[in-house]
Amino acid sequence: MEANQALNNDLICAIATPPGQGGVGIVRLSGKGAGEVAAQLCAKPLQSRTAVYTDFFDAQELLDNGLALWFPGPNSFTGEDVVELQGHGGPVIQHRILNALCQRGARLARPGEFSERAFMNGKLDLAQAEAVADLIASSSIAASKAALNTLKGAFSEMISAIALDIANMRVRVEAAIDFPEEDIEILQEAKVAEDIARTVTALEAILEQANQGRLINSGISVALIGQPNVGKSSLLNALAGEEAAIVTNIPGTTRDLLKIDLVIGGLPIRLVDTAGLRESSDEVEKIGIARAIAQAAEADLTLYVAAADTLEEGLASSELVGNIELIQESDSQPNNILLVVNKSDLGAMRNLPKDIASVSVSAKTGEGLDLLKKAIQESVGFGQENVPFAARQRHIQIIKDTLVKVNAAAQALTQNQGAEFVAEELYIAHQRLGEITGTVTPDDLLGKIFSEFCIGK
Amino acid sequence: MQYPEQFDVIVIGGGHAGTEAAAASARMGAKTLLLTQSIETLGQMSCNPAIGGIGKSHLVAEIDALDGVMAKATDQAGIHFRVLNSSKGPAVRATRAQADRTLYKNAVRDILEHQENLQIFQQSVVDLVVENDTVVGCETQMGLTFCAKTVVLTTGTFLGGKIHIGDQQQSGGRAGDPPSIALAERLRALPFRVGRLKTGTPPRIDGRSVDFSVLESQLGDDPRPVMSSMGKRSDHPQQISCHITYTNADTHQIITDNLDRSAMYSGAIEGVGPRYCPSIEDKVVRFADKSSHQIFIEPEGLNTTELYPNGISTSLPFDVQLQFVRSMQGFANAHISRPGYAIEYDYFDPRDLQHSLETKAIAGLFFAGQINGTTGYEEAGAQGLLAGINAARKCQDKTPWEPRRDEAYIGVLVDDLINLGTTEPYRMFTSRAEFRLRLREDNADQRLTPMGIDFGLVGHERRSYFEEKLRRVDEFRKQFKATCILPSSDLDQKLALNLRKETTLEEALRRPEINSQKISVALALTETDSNGDAHIDALAVKQLEIETKYAGYIKRQDEEILKIRRHEGMLLPATMDFAQLEGLSNELKQKLEHHKPDSLARAARIPGMTPAALSILLIHAKALAKNAAKASTL
Repeated sequence: MEANQALNNDLICAIATPPGQGGVGIVRLSGKGAGEVAAQLCAKPLQSRTAVYTDFFDAQELLDNGLALWFPGPNSFTGEDVVELQGHGGPVIQHRILNALCQRGARLARPGEFSERAFMNGKLDLAQAEAVADLIASSSIAASKAALNTLKGAFSEMISAIALDIANMRVRVEAAIDFPEEDIEILQEAKVAEDIARTVTALEAILEQANQGRLINSGISVALIGQPNVGKSSLLNALAGEEAAIVTNIPGTTRDLLKIDLVIGGLPIRLVDTAGLRESSDEVEKIGIARAIAQAAEADLTLYVAAADTLEEGLASSELVGNIELIQESDSQPNNILLVVNKSDLGAMRNLPKDIASVSVSAKTGEGLDLLKKAIQESVGFGQENVPFAARQRHIQIIKDTLVKVNAAAQALTQNQGAEFVAEELYIAHQRLGEITGTVTPDDLLGKIFSEFCIGK
Repeated sequence: MQYPEQFDVIVIGGGHAGTEAAAASARMGAKTLLLTQSIETLGQMSCNPAIGGIGKSHLVAEIDALDGVMAKATDQAGIHFRVLNSSKGPAVRATRAQADRTLYKNAVRDILEHQENLQIFQQSVVDLVVENDTVVGCETQMGLTFCAKTVVLTTGTFLGGKIHIGDQQQSGGRAGDPPSIALAERLRALPFRVGRLKTGTPPRIDGRSVDFSVLESQLGDDPRPVMSSMGKRSDHPQQISCHITYTNADTHQIITDNLDRSAMYSGAIEGVGPRYCPSIEDKVVRFADKSSHQIFIEPEGLNTTELYPNGISTSLPFDVQLQFVRSMQGFANAHISRPGYAIEYDYFDPRDLQHSLETKAIAGLFFAGQINGTTGYEEAGAQGLLAGINAARKCQDKTPWEPRRDEAYIGVLVDDLINLGTTEPYRMFTSRAEFRLRLREDNADQRLTPMGIDFGLVGHERRSYFEEKLRRVDEFRKQFKATCILPSSDLDQKLALNLRKETTLEEALRRPEINSQKISVALALTETDSNGDAHIDALAVKQLEIETKYAGYIKRQDEEILKIRRHEGMLLPATMDFAQLEGLSNELKQKLEHHKPDSLARAARIPGMTPAALSILLIHAKALAKNAAKASTL
């Protein structure tokens, strides 16, 4: 057998079928020990190059049933040991299977990693090299974008802040190691301990917020917002297909937030109807409006609803533009806003702000609803090669690993194991987090040391 | 005339790189010639009179493990020894010694003069003889031509050296010595990229004019460490103290008032100085909130009154130097014996070298030391050793030795330089080594001596000592494994283990509170011999302790190293046009164009590199290789 020429041959897994509620969902596993790890999930023993119908278990819990196919390397798609678990579609089930595999030593594949391995092991021909490289390049960009989009709003800022904190701790610890003779109190252990504690809290907060299965289990949150009487509740009902919200034509009917869970093309969504945006003297309604803005800021996606029949002739409504700006200002992801022009049966889309994506629908006739559903999915990256799930999961794994290492650094510090151990754990934490933020080289760190401390004889 | 004898290796320059290079190639049996401007300055310490320190002592230990000169000479010349970071773990502990300049020089010269296969000749080199892009010898000032298979160039700061004292400038390689202008011009004509760097020295002080009674004094360590693993305390000359003084508000005022007269601040200096070794004017300007800086007063030697005030290197004019020196406590009446100065010099971009330190453009020509943009005796010595080894190996038709980053600080040093180049004088720090926990002073011999033995570089004495040490470590390892300690037994009590059930001595050593010293005492091992030097048994048990305590971390690093070695095996063809690679960001393309990595491992160390970009590189590399294979079969 030709030696494995891929960059790595560790065990990777990913969902191989398009996302959503399909008939069949395939989870693919490739790398060293694929057969052994997959066998732990299957009730029946795997057989080489034979479809085995079996239940899939995670420990005692039944996850799904379907076909398990085992292709020992090199006669497989990637040239490595490959197992395909073909179960029933649906993101929740597939996600659980992935989780179970990851707990047993697999890791989530990077974009294009299966094709990369296939190419490196001579399974794809030379002409496909370019295509594989392109796939990796484009899907990594898409993946990190999507991961950032689907993760909580301030995610990327929080990560950067944590990376900076770790860098600052390393500056102190490394300076204490390399410059012990300087007459400066570089390593104030209490300070480092404090920084470590803060970083641990921050990492835990991110994990709490990013909550592994949130996107899949509780779905993404979508806020409906707009001026009164543009048909937000009607739209919600049209999407949900039931009378979940009270719909009247008295402006300001929906005073409180109304939430409804629905699944659109396999993507679980929590739709939140908010009070209409209107200057109000009514105390209850005022609170409702404030909550509406807050809800929009917190949501993964904001649907700003306007009514076609109220769109003015000439320039875009200044009120419309003003309100959208207001929402964007309070949202850390100002781009996650979609303008929905409702009541397309009563008028045409016209005079809309140019830099906002928009969809025309009629809640009443159902016209354009499919387009809106598609736009909702795409806005969170759903429907593009599983990218958001996998990317998001990988990011979360990185944060978890970082947390483990920062905790180990804390332990090394409190147990007085020696600065070099604290340094080692922080180094690994920093490296791991660097997979999101970009790596910091030793020279970068030295530069920080020299700019922060007066060092040198 | 042409010198009648042919050499295998000619080393040009008798500094720290040159002496290690010459001694190493000669030890390996290569017929070696050392050419120096002055035999009197062989092994001269042109900056501060100290060897070792954090990161640097690690390099010295590695030179020593390969039977080099530096550690041995330091034990002959050291007048003040300390272990830095002694409160931290063994990986970052570092020995540092003040050396008597004259004793050091004498020790180096003594070693060289007694080295077989090595001849020394005093004469400035003015040209290299190059035929068909291969070096074949060199020519000296008097028109004498020496022929050799390889040449190691270690000319330090002497190439195009220019000394600045305030607004005065003069050519010079070191105060008092002429620069190598002719050679510099000749080398500039060869296809190497040349840059300019700067470094500085402080004014030297006559100790008779200093009031030591008001200065803090700093004693050497007791027990006193040795630099070489073969060193004995009885090798050491008389030991003396160092002192510490501080700059103050007056000092800073004087410097601030005269900043416009500093060569560095007036713009007269174009070279880049080191960030970690700022001049006193730099410190005062950049850290204006600091009211005082610590200055180490290092003795220059036993038989001289001259002092080296470490921490006030400067390019201010002499009158200002005198003023600010006299503002410091204990220095009110100080007499400056030599003014401080800044020196600018040429260096060659190390990215034009191979990992063997042979130049890419001219076969057989090696560069080592400050010429490659480094600073420090230790950094120079380490490169010299490597260049000497590889020059000799080239003459023996053997593949070059390219130490890896996980093997030696020498590997980190060379890899950093060749991969990334440098924009300031490069100095070693332990934070540069990602495998710091395994690159220790204490195991330098275990890491490198076997290789040295294989190269024919290590003498009989070191070899037998090393093998004895390994044997003792192994015996203790077996003994510790086999020694059962029962609750309330003699050993349990001696080690204060408070055992509930029986355990082995090996297990006991894993406990944080148990160390090699406690075990040595409990087993009644001989800790020191009659001269007070550490006994080999004590060293062996210490080694076991370190291995045990680091075991978990080392194992994790082993996995990382395996991965890196895989990447090292993945070569990027020289024909690869990084600018044309689809799927990489322009920024990364530029960085790749700039660094031209030859393997995936080296590409991985370029700042900003991502896993996806590495995958893309690899795919293109494989496609290129396949295409090439196809073309060759047609």
